Amino acid sequence: MAAASTSSFIPLKPRPTPRGLSTIAVLKLGAPLSFSFRRPVLAPARLRISCVAKPETVEKVAKVVKKQLALPAETLVTGDSKFAALGADSLDTVEIVMGLEEEFDISVEEDSAQSIATVQDAADLIEELVRKKCA
Amino acid sequence: HRRLPAVIPTPPVSASPFPNPKSQYCCLSRNFSAALTPLLPVQLPSRMETHLWYVVPDEVKSAPLLSKYMELLPQSERDHVLGFRGDQLQKSALLARTLVRTTIARYQVDGHLDPRSLRFKRNIHGKPEVEWETKDGFCPPPLQFNISHTSSLVACGVTMNSLIGIDVEEKRRRTKNNILAFAKRYFTAHEVEHLNAIPDSELQQQEFIKLWTLKEAYVKALGKGFSSSPFNTFTIRVNTAAQESFCLPLNQASSGIAVETLDSPQNLTNNWQFALLELMGSHYVAICLERQETGGAGKAFPIKLTARKTIPSVEDELVSGTNAVVTIGGSVTQF
Repeated sequence: MAAASTSSFIPLKPRPTPRGLSTIAVLKLGAPLSFSFRRPVLAPARLRISCVAKPETVEKVAKVVKKQLALPAETLVTGDSKFAALGADSLDTVEIVMGLEEEFDISVEEDSAQSIATVQDAADLIEELVRKKCA
Repeated sequence: HRRLPAVIPTPPVSASPFPNPKSQYCCLSRNFSAALTPLLPVQLPSRMETHLWYVVPDEVKSAPLLSKYMELLPQSERDHVLGFRGDQLQKSALLARTLVRTTIARYQVDGHLDPRSLRFKRNIHGKPEVEWETKDGFCPPPLQFNISHTSSLVACGVTMNSLIGIDVEEKRRRTKNNILAFAKRYFTAHEVEHLNAIPDSELQQQEFIKLWTLKEAYVKALGKGFSSSPFNTFTIRVNTAAQESFCLPLNQASSGIAVETLDSPQNLTNNWQFALLELMGSHYVAICLERQETGGAGKAFPIKLTARKTIPSVEDELVSGTNAVVTIGGSVTQF
Protein backbone atom coordinates (compact mmCIF):
# COMPACT_ATOMS: atom_id res chain seq x y z
CA MET A 1 0.00 0.00 0.00
CA ALA A 2 1.43 3.37 -0.86
CA ALA A 3 1.86 5.87 1.89
CA ALA A 4 -0.63 8.72 1.60
CA SER A 5 1.93 11.36 2.38
CA THR A 6 5.56 11.41 3.25
CA SER A 7 5.48 14.44 5.49
CA SER A 8 3.35 13.03 8.28
CA PHE A 9 2.82 9.31 8.25
CA ILE A 10 1.17 9.19 11.67
CA PRO A 11 -2.15 11.06 11.64
CA LEU A 12 -2.50 11.40 15.40
CA LYS A 13 -1.27 14.59 16.99
CA PRO A 14 0.44 14.70 20.37
CA ARG A 15 -1.23 16.33 23.32
CA PRO A 16 0.26 19.78 23.69
CA THR A 17 2.51 20.19 26.70
CA PRO A 18 3.53 23.58 28.02
CA ARG A 19 6.97 24.50 26.72
CA GLY A 20 9.67 25.04 29.26
CA LEU A 21 7.72 23.55 32.11
CA SER A 22 8.54 19.94 31.39
CA THR A 23 11.36 19.79 33.92
CA ILE A 24 9.25 21.14 36.74
CA ALA A 25 6.32 18.94 35.80
CA VAL A 26 8.53 15.87 35.92
CA LEU A 27 9.77 16.62 39.39
CA LYS A 28 6.30 17.25 40.78
CA LEU A 29 4.34 14.43 39.23
CA GLY A 30 6.86 11.72 39.83
CA ALA A 31 8.18 9.33 37.27
CA PRO A 32 8.14 10.73 33.75
CA LEU A 33 6.75 8.36 31.18
CA SER A 34 9.89 8.45 29.16
CA PHE A 35 10.87 5.12 27.69
CA SER A 36 14.52 5.69 27.31
CA PHE A 37 16.04 3.34 29.83
CA ARG A 38 19.29 5.20 29.92
CA ARG A 39 18.03 8.12 31.94
CA PRO A 40 17.10 7.54 35.55
CA VAL A 41 13.49 8.11 36.47
CA LEU A 42 14.43 10.70 39.05
CA ALA A 43 17.28 13.02 38.17
CA PRO A 44 18.46 14.56 41.41
CA ALA A 45 21.49 16.00 39.60
CA ARG A 46 19.19 18.67 38.19
CA LEU A 47 18.22 19.88 41.63
CA ARG A 48 21.80 20.50 42.63
CA ILE A 49 22.55 22.95 39.88
CA SER A 50 21.65 26.33 41.22
CA CYS A 51 22.22 28.57 38.18
CA VAL A 52 20.79 28.31 34.74
CA ALA A 53 23.42 28.36 32.03
CA LYS A 54 24.06 31.37 29.84
CA PRO A 55 22.49 31.35 26.39
CA GLU A 56 25.96 31.30 24.81
CA THR A 57 26.73 28.02 26.56
CA VAL A 58 23.44 26.52 25.39
CA GLU A 59 24.31 27.66 21.89
CA LYS A 60 27.73 26.02 22.01
CA VAL A 61 26.23 22.78 23.29
CA ALA A 62 23.65 22.88 20.50
CA LYS A 63 26.48 23.24 18.00
CA VAL A 64 28.32 20.18 19.33
CA VAL A 65 25.09 18.18 19.31
CA LYS A 66 24.22 19.17 15.74
CA LYS A 67 27.71 18.22 14.61
CA GLN A 68 27.62 14.81 16.30
CA LEU A 69 24.17 13.99 14.95
CA ALA A 70 24.90 15.51 11.53
CA LEU A 71 21.85 17.73 11.77
CA PRO A 72 21.43 20.56 9.28
CA ALA A 73 22.73 23.88 10.67
CA GLU A 74 19.27 25.41 10.61
CA THR A 75 17.78 22.66 12.84
CA LEU A 76 16.12 24.24 15.84
CA VAL A 77 17.93 23.01 18.94
CA THR A 78 17.05 24.75 22.17
CA GLY A 79 17.66 24.11 25.86
CA ASP A 80 14.53 21.98 26.00
CA SER A 81 15.67 19.72 23.20
CA LYS A 82 16.20 16.15 24.34
CA PHE A 83 19.23 14.33 23.00
CA ALA A 84 17.23 11.16 22.42
CA ALA A 85 14.45 13.02 20.60
CA LEU A 86 17.04 14.50 18.24
CA GLY A 87 18.19 10.98 17.43
CA ALA A 88 21.09 10.50 19.82
CA ASP A 89 21.57 6.96 21.00
CA SER A 90 23.88 6.07 23.88
CA LEU A 91 26.99 6.08 21.69
CA ASP A 92 26.08 9.53 20.34
CA THR A 93 25.48 10.82 23.86
CA VAL A 94 28.88 9.67 25.03
CA GLU A 95 30.49 11.20 21.94
CA ILE A 96 28.64 14.45 22.56
CA VAL A 97 29.95 14.50 26.12
CA MET A 98 33.45 13.90 24.77
CA GLY A 99 32.98 16.78 22.34
CA LEU A 100 31.78 19.02 25.15
CA GLU A 101 34.78 18.09 27.28
CA GLU A 102 37.06 19.22 24.48
CA GLU A 103 35.06 22.35 23.69
CA PHE A 104 34.99 23.54 27.29
CA ASP A 105 38.17 21.90 28.58
CA ILE A 106 36.37 20.07 31.37
CA SER A 107 36.06 16.51 32.56
CA VAL A 108 32.63 14.99 33.01
CA GLU A 109 32.14 12.07 35.38
CA GLU A 110 30.46 9.03 33.83
CA ASP A 111 27.50 9.17 36.15
CA SER A 112 26.96 12.87 35.45
CA ALA A 113 27.10 12.12 31.75
CA GLN A 114 24.27 9.66 32.22
CA SER A 115 21.99 12.20 33.83
CA ILE A 116 22.15 14.53 30.85
CA ALA A 117 18.88 14.33 28.97
CA THR A 118 18.49 17.78 27.42
CA VAL A 119 20.72 20.45 25.97
CA GLN A 120 19.96 22.57 29.03
CA ASP A 121 21.12 19.78 31.36
CA ALA A 122 24.43 19.66 29.51
CA ALA A 123 24.85 23.44 29.54
CA ASP A 124 24.06 23.69 33.26
CA LEU A 125 26.49 20.91 34.07
CA ILE A 126 29.21 22.49 31.96
CA GLU A 127 28.89 25.85 33.66
CA GLU A 128 28.99 24.16 37.05
CA LEU A 129 32.17 22.30 36.11
CA VAL A 130 33.77 25.40 34.60
CA ARG A 131 32.90 27.40 37.70
CA LYS A 132 34.43 24.74 39.96
CA LYS A 133 37.51 24.60 37.81
CA CYS A 134 38.07 28.34 38.02
CA ALA A 135 37.21 28.59 41.70
CA HIS B 1 13.49 -20.67 6.62
CA ARG B 2 9.92 -21.18 7.59
CA ARG B 3 7.39 -18.45 7.04
CA LEU B 4 4.48 -18.57 9.44
CA PRO B 5 1.21 -16.88 8.58
CA ALA B 6 0.26 -14.36 11.22
CA VAL B 7 -3.45 -14.47 10.42
CA ILE B 8 -5.53 -16.88 12.48
CA PRO B 9 -7.47 -18.87 9.89
CA THR B 10 -11.26 -18.76 10.09
CA PRO B 11 -12.91 -22.17 10.61
CA PRO B 12 -12.68 -24.79 9.28
CA VAL B 13 -8.95 -24.98 9.89
CA SER B 14 -7.10 -26.79 7.18
CA ALA B 15 -3.55 -26.39 8.38
CA SER B 16 -2.26 -24.86 11.53
CA PRO B 17 1.27 -24.47 12.79
CA PHE B 18 -0.01 -24.90 16.31
CA PRO B 19 -0.71 -28.25 17.90
CA ASN B 20 -3.83 -27.04 19.68
CA PRO B 21 -6.10 -25.16 17.26
CA LYS B 22 -8.74 -24.81 19.94
CA SER B 23 -6.67 -22.17 21.72
CA GLN B 24 -6.75 -20.00 18.61
CA TYR B 25 -10.53 -19.91 18.61
CA CYS B 26 -10.52 -18.98 22.26
CA CYS B 27 -8.37 -16.02 21.28
CA LEU B 28 -10.64 -15.05 18.40
CA SER B 29 -13.60 -14.81 20.69
CA ARG B 30 -11.67 -12.87 23.30
CA ASN B 31 -10.24 -9.41 23.04
CA PHE B 32 -8.13 -8.54 20.06
CA SER B 33 -7.33 -5.32 18.37
CA ALA B 34 -10.30 -4.46 16.22
CA ALA B 35 -8.14 -2.60 13.78
CA LEU B 36 -5.33 -5.11 13.35
CA THR B 37 -5.33 -8.73 12.36
CA PRO B 38 -5.46 -10.90 15.50
CA LEU B 39 -2.04 -11.81 16.84
CA LEU B 40 -0.83 -15.34 16.45
CA PRO B 41 0.13 -16.82 19.82
CA VAL B 42 3.59 -18.22 20.47
CA GLN B 43 4.94 -20.51 23.13
CA LEU B 44 6.83 -19.00 26.01
CA PRO B 45 10.53 -19.67 25.95
CA SER B 46 11.59 -22.53 28.19
CA ARG B 47 13.88 -21.74 31.08
CA MET B 48 16.96 -22.39 28.97
CA GLU B 49 15.84 -20.55 25.84
CA THR B 50 16.27 -17.05 24.55
CA HIS B 51 13.93 -15.61 21.98
CA LEU B 52 15.13 -12.85 19.71
CA TRP B 53 12.55 -10.90 17.71
CA TYR B 54 13.40 -8.16 15.28
CA VAL B 55 11.80 -5.76 12.84
CA VAL B 56 13.46 -4.05 9.89
CA PRO B 57 11.87 -0.58 9.74
CA ASP B 58 12.60 -0.18 6.03
CA GLU B 59 10.37 -3.19 5.36
CA VAL B 60 7.40 -1.62 7.12
CA LYS B 61 6.19 0.95 4.64
CA SER B 62 2.44 0.97 4.99
CA ALA B 63 1.15 4.19 6.55
CA PRO B 64 -2.20 2.60 7.49
CA LEU B 65 -0.34 -0.24 9.22
CA LEU B 66 1.80 2.21 11.16
CA SER B 67 -1.35 4.10 12.17
CA LYS B 68 -2.82 0.88 13.48
CA TYR B 69 0.33 0.24 15.48
CA MET B 70 -0.05 3.71 16.96
CA GLU B 71 -3.55 2.77 18.10
CA LEU B 72 -2.10 -0.06 20.18
CA LEU B 73 -0.22 2.38 22.36
CA PRO B 74 -1.52 4.30 25.37
CA GLN B 75 -1.52 8.08 25.03
CA SER B 76 1.70 8.48 27.00
CA GLU B 77 3.59 6.19 24.63
CA ARG B 78 2.11 7.89 21.58
CA ASP B 79 3.28 11.24 22.93
CA HIS B 80 6.70 9.79 23.50
CA VAL B 81 6.89 8.47 19.93
CA LEU B 82 5.73 11.78 18.49
CA GLY B 83 8.33 13.59 20.60
CA PHE B 84 11.04 12.25 18.32
CA ARG B 85 12.16 14.55 15.54
CA GLY B 86 11.39 13.35 12.09
CA ASP B 87 9.61 10.41 10.52
CA GLN B 88 12.48 7.94 10.69
CA LEU B 89 13.09 8.37 14.40
CA GLN B 90 9.37 8.31 15.12
CA LYS B 91 8.98 5.16 13.09
CA SER B 92 11.67 3.20 14.89
CA ALA B 93 10.38 4.42 18.26
CA LEU B 94 6.87 3.31 17.25
CA LEU B 95 8.11 -0.06 16.03
CA ALA B 96 10.03 -0.58 19.29
CA ARG B 97 6.88 -0.08 21.39
CA THR B 98 4.80 -2.13 18.96
CA LEU B 99 7.32 -4.97 18.93
CA VAL B 100 7.51 -5.24 22.69
CA ARG B 101 3.74 -5.05 23.18
CA THR B 102 2.77 -7.46 20.44
CA THR B 103 5.56 -9.92 21.26
CA ILE B 104 4.75 -10.12 24.96
CA ALA B 105 1.03 -10.29 24.20
CA ARG B 106 1.62 -13.28 21.92
CA TYR B 107 3.04 -15.28 24.80
CA GLN B 108 -0.51 -15.20 26.13
CA VAL B 109 0.31 -14.92 29.75
CA ASP B 110 -2.86 -15.82 31.63
CA GLY B 111 -4.67 -16.26 28.35
CA HIS B 112 -4.54 -12.59 27.37
CA LEU B 113 -3.63 -11.64 23.87
CA ASP B 114 -4.34 -7.90 23.74
CA PRO B 115 -1.17 -5.84 23.32
CA ARG B 116 -3.06 -2.75 24.39
CA SER B 117 -3.82 -4.07 27.82
CA LEU B 118 -0.17 -4.54 28.78
CA ARG B 119 1.16 -2.15 31.35
CA PHE B 120 4.79 -1.31 31.83
CA LYS B 121 6.64 0.14 34.76
CA ARG B 122 10.24 0.81 35.64
CA ASN B 123 12.26 -0.74 38.40
CA ILE B 124 13.96 1.61 40.86
CA HIS B 125 16.90 2.00 38.50
CA GLY B 126 14.76 2.80 35.49
CA LYS B 127 14.72 -0.56 33.71
CA PRO B 128 11.39 -1.23 31.96
CA GLU B 129 9.40 -4.23 33.17
CA VAL B 130 5.92 -5.60 32.59
CA GLU B 131 3.44 -4.72 35.29
CA TRP B 132 1.24 -7.77 35.44
CA GLU B 133 -2.28 -7.52 36.77
CA THR B 134 -2.52 -8.79 40.29
CA LYS B 135 -5.39 -11.20 40.50
CA ASP B 136 -6.20 -13.92 42.97
CA GLY B 137 -4.25 -17.02 42.26
CA PHE B 138 -2.34 -15.43 39.39
CA CYS B 139 1.39 -15.77 39.72
CA PRO B 140 3.06 -13.62 37.09
CA PRO B 141 5.55 -15.52 34.97
CA PRO B 142 9.19 -14.52 35.35
CA LEU B 143 9.21 -13.15 31.81
CA GLN B 144 12.22 -10.95 31.13
CA PHE B 145 12.70 -8.74 28.12
CA ASN B 146 14.93 -6.03 26.77
CA ILE B 147 14.70 -3.83 23.68
CA SER B 148 17.26 -2.12 21.54
CA HIS B 149 16.84 -0.11 18.38
CA THR B 150 18.65 1.87 15.76
CA SER B 151 16.96 3.55 12.81
CA SER B 152 17.56 0.41 10.76
CA LEU B 153 16.74 -2.35 13.23
CA VAL B 154 14.44 -2.85 16.20
CA ALA B 155 15.04 -5.90 18.39
CA CYS B 156 13.55 -7.48 21.48
CA GLY B 157 15.00 -10.34 23.50
CA VAL B 158 12.81 -12.47 25.77
CA THR B 159 13.63 -15.10 28.37
CA MET B 160 11.91 -16.87 31.20
CA ASN B 161 13.69 -15.95 34.37
CA SER B 162 17.11 -14.92 33.08
CA LEU B 163 17.90 -11.24 33.27
CA ILE B 164 18.63 -10.13 29.72
CA GLY B 165 20.23 -7.15 28.03
CA ILE B 166 20.50 -6.67 24.30
CA ASP B 167 22.10 -4.08 22.10
CA VAL B 168 22.06 -3.71 18.34
CA GLU B 169 24.24 -1.57 16.13
CA GLU B 170 25.00 -1.20 12.46
CA LYS B 171 28.26 -2.90 11.55
CA ARG B 172 29.40 0.13 9.64
CA ARG B 173 28.63 2.62 12.39
CA ARG B 174 31.38 5.17 12.55
CA THR B 175 32.36 7.17 15.57
CA LYS B 176 33.01 10.88 15.07
CA ASN B 177 35.94 10.67 17.45
CA ASN B 178 39.08 8.66 16.94
CA ILE B 179 38.44 5.12 18.22
CA LEU B 180 41.50 4.84 20.41
CA ALA B 181 40.96 8.29 21.91
CA PHE B 182 37.39 7.27 22.68
CA ALA B 183 38.42 3.91 24.10
CA LYS B 184 41.11 5.48 26.29
CA ARG B 185 38.50 7.82 27.70
CA TYR B 186 35.70 5.33 28.26
CA PHE B 187 36.96 1.73 28.09
CA THR B 188 39.42 -0.22 30.23
CA ALA B 189 43.14 -0.57 29.58
CA HIS B 190 42.75 -4.18 28.44
CA GLU B 191 40.15 -3.21 25.91
CA VAL B 192 42.29 -0.36 24.60
CA GLU B 193 45.16 -2.85 24.20
CA HIS B 194 42.85 -5.22 22.34
CA LEU B 195 41.77 -2.50 19.92
CA ASN B 196 45.25 -1.06 19.57
CA ALA B 197 46.56 -4.45 18.48
CA ILE B 198 44.36 -4.44 15.38
CA PRO B 199 46.30 -2.92 12.48
CA ASP B 200 43.48 -2.65 9.96
CA SER B 201 41.34 0.42 10.65
CA GLU B 202 38.20 -1.10 9.19
CA LEU B 203 38.53 -4.19 11.40
CA GLN B 204 39.37 -1.99 14.34
CA GLN B 205 36.17 -0.03 13.79
CA GLN B 206 34.16 -3.24 13.71
CA GLU B 207 35.84 -4.58 16.85
CA PHE B 208 35.04 -1.33 18.58
CA ILE B 209 31.37 -1.64 17.69
CA LYS B 210 31.34 -5.26 18.88
CA LEU B 211 32.86 -4.25 22.20
CA TRP B 212 30.45 -1.36 22.55
CA THR B 213 27.38 -3.53 21.99
CA LEU B 214 28.66 -6.19 24.42
CA LYS B 215 29.28 -3.59 27.09
CA GLU B 216 25.87 -2.01 26.55
CA ALA B 217 24.17 -5.40 26.70
CA TYR B 218 25.89 -6.18 30.01
CA VAL B 219 24.82 -2.93 31.66
CA LYS B 220 21.29 -3.32 30.35
CA ALA B 221 21.14 -6.87 31.68
CA LEU B 222 22.29 -5.70 35.10
CA GLY B 223 19.40 -3.27 35.02
CA LYS B 224 20.92 -0.82 37.45
CA GLY B 225 21.58 2.05 35.09
CA PHE B 226 24.79 3.17 33.47
CA SER B 227 25.97 5.24 36.40
CA SER B 228 26.26 2.13 38.56
CA SER B 229 28.53 0.41 36.03
CA PRO B 230 30.52 2.97 34.07
CA PHE B 231 32.16 1.38 31.08
CA ASN B 232 35.65 1.78 32.45
CA THR B 233 34.86 -0.37 35.49
CA PHE B 234 34.50 -3.65 33.63
CA THR B 235 36.36 -5.43 30.85
CA ILE B 236 34.88 -7.67 28.19
CA ARG B 237 37.27 -10.53 27.61
CA VAL B 238 37.27 -13.07 24.85
CA ASN B 239 38.54 -16.57 25.54
CA THR B 240 39.08 -19.27 22.99
CA ALA B 241 38.48 -22.87 23.85
CA ALA B 242 42.20 -23.55 23.91
CA GLN B 243 43.60 -20.62 25.79
CA GLU B 244 42.69 -17.35 27.30
CA SER B 245 43.53 -14.52 25.00
CA PHE B 246 42.05 -11.14 24.39
CA CYS B 247 44.19 -10.30 21.44
CA LEU B 248 42.14 -12.37 19.05
CA PRO B 249 39.37 -10.69 17.11
CA LEU B 250 35.84 -11.57 18.09
CA ASN B 251 35.20 -13.83 15.14
CA GLN B 252 35.43 -17.31 16.49
CA ALA B 253 32.14 -18.93 17.19
CA SER B 254 33.70 -21.23 19.72
CA SER B 255 35.13 -18.35 21.69
CA GLY B 256 33.74 -17.55 25.07
CA ILE B 257 33.04 -13.98 26.02
CA ALA B 258 33.21 -13.02 29.66
CA VAL B 259 33.06 -9.93 31.77
CA GLU B 260 35.60 -9.04 34.41
CA THR B 261 34.81 -6.30 36.86
CA LEU B 262 37.58 -4.12 38.23
CA ASP B 263 36.66 -4.74 41.81
CA SER B 264 37.19 -8.49 41.47
CA PRO B 265 39.89 -8.81 38.84
CA GLN B 266 40.96 -12.29 39.83
CA ASN B 267 37.55 -13.83 39.36
CA LEU B 268 35.90 -13.56 36.02
CA THR B 269 32.32 -12.77 36.88
CA ASN B 270 30.67 -16.07 36.14
CA ASN B 271 27.14 -14.90 36.51
CA TRP B 272 26.83 -13.59 32.98
CA GLN B 273 27.06 -15.16 29.57
CA PHE B 274 27.21 -13.45 26.22
CA ALA B 275 26.34 -14.01 22.61
CA LEU B 276 27.43 -11.87 19.71
CA LEU B 277 25.55 -12.26 16.45
CA GLU B 278 25.84 -10.79 13.01
CA LEU B 279 22.32 -10.15 11.71
CA MET B 280 21.55 -9.97 8.00
CA GLY B 281 25.21 -9.21 7.36
CA SER B 282 24.55 -5.63 8.42
CA HIS B 283 24.16 -5.48 12.19
CA TYR B 284 25.77 -6.71 15.36
CA VAL B 285 23.49 -7.95 18.11
CA ALA B 286 24.96 -8.48 21.55
CA ILE B 287 23.01 -10.47 24.12
CA CYS B 288 23.91 -10.73 27.78
CA LEU B 289 22.13 -13.25 29.98
CA GLU B 290 22.16 -14.11 33.62
CA ARG B 291 23.54 -17.58 33.94
CA GLN B 292 20.90 -19.96 35.20
CA GLU B 293 22.68 -23.28 35.50
CA THR B 294 26.18 -24.38 34.88
CA GLY B 295 27.61 -27.56 33.47
CA GLY B 296 30.57 -29.29 35.07
CA ALA B 297 33.48 -27.20 36.40
CA GLY B 298 31.52 -23.96 36.15
CA LYS B 299 31.11 -24.13 32.39
CA ALA B 300 27.88 -22.70 31.10
CA PHE B 301 25.52 -24.42 28.75
CA PRO B 302 25.40 -22.75 25.37
CA ILE B 303 22.73 -20.14 24.84
CA LYS B 304 19.74 -21.73 23.09
CA LEU B 305 18.56 -19.12 20.68
CA THR B 306 15.44 -18.83 18.55
CA ALA B 307 15.46 -15.83 16.24
CA ARG B 308 12.45 -14.53 14.36
CA LYS B 309 12.16 -11.64 11.99
CA THR B 310 8.71 -10.14 12.20
CA ILE B 311 6.30 -7.51 11.00
CA PRO B 312 3.88 -7.37 13.94
CA SER B 313 0.45 -8.70 13.06
CA VAL B 314 1.53 -9.42 9.50
CA GLU B 315 4.14 -12.13 9.32
CA ASP B 316 6.95 -13.94 11.10
CA GLU B 317 9.95 -15.67 9.70
CA LEU B 318 12.02 -18.13 11.70
CA VAL B 319 15.60 -17.21 10.85
CA SER B 320 17.73 -18.95 13.44
CA GLY B 321 20.04 -21.45 11.81
CA THR B 322 20.04 -19.50 8.54
CA ASN B 323 22.73 -17.15 7.35
CA ALA B 324 20.60 -14.22 8.47
CA VAL B 325 21.85 -14.93 11.99
CA VAL B 326 25.52 -15.79 12.32
CA THR B 327 27.08 -16.44 15.71
CA ILE B 328 30.38 -14.60 15.89
CA GLY B 329 31.06 -14.83 19.60
CA GLY B 330 29.95 -16.76 22.63
CA SER B 331 28.55 -20.24 22.84
CA VAL B 332 25.22 -20.39 21.04
CA THR B 333 23.04 -23.10 19.59
CA GLN B 334 20.36 -21.84 17.25
CA PHE B 335 16.96 -23.45 16.99
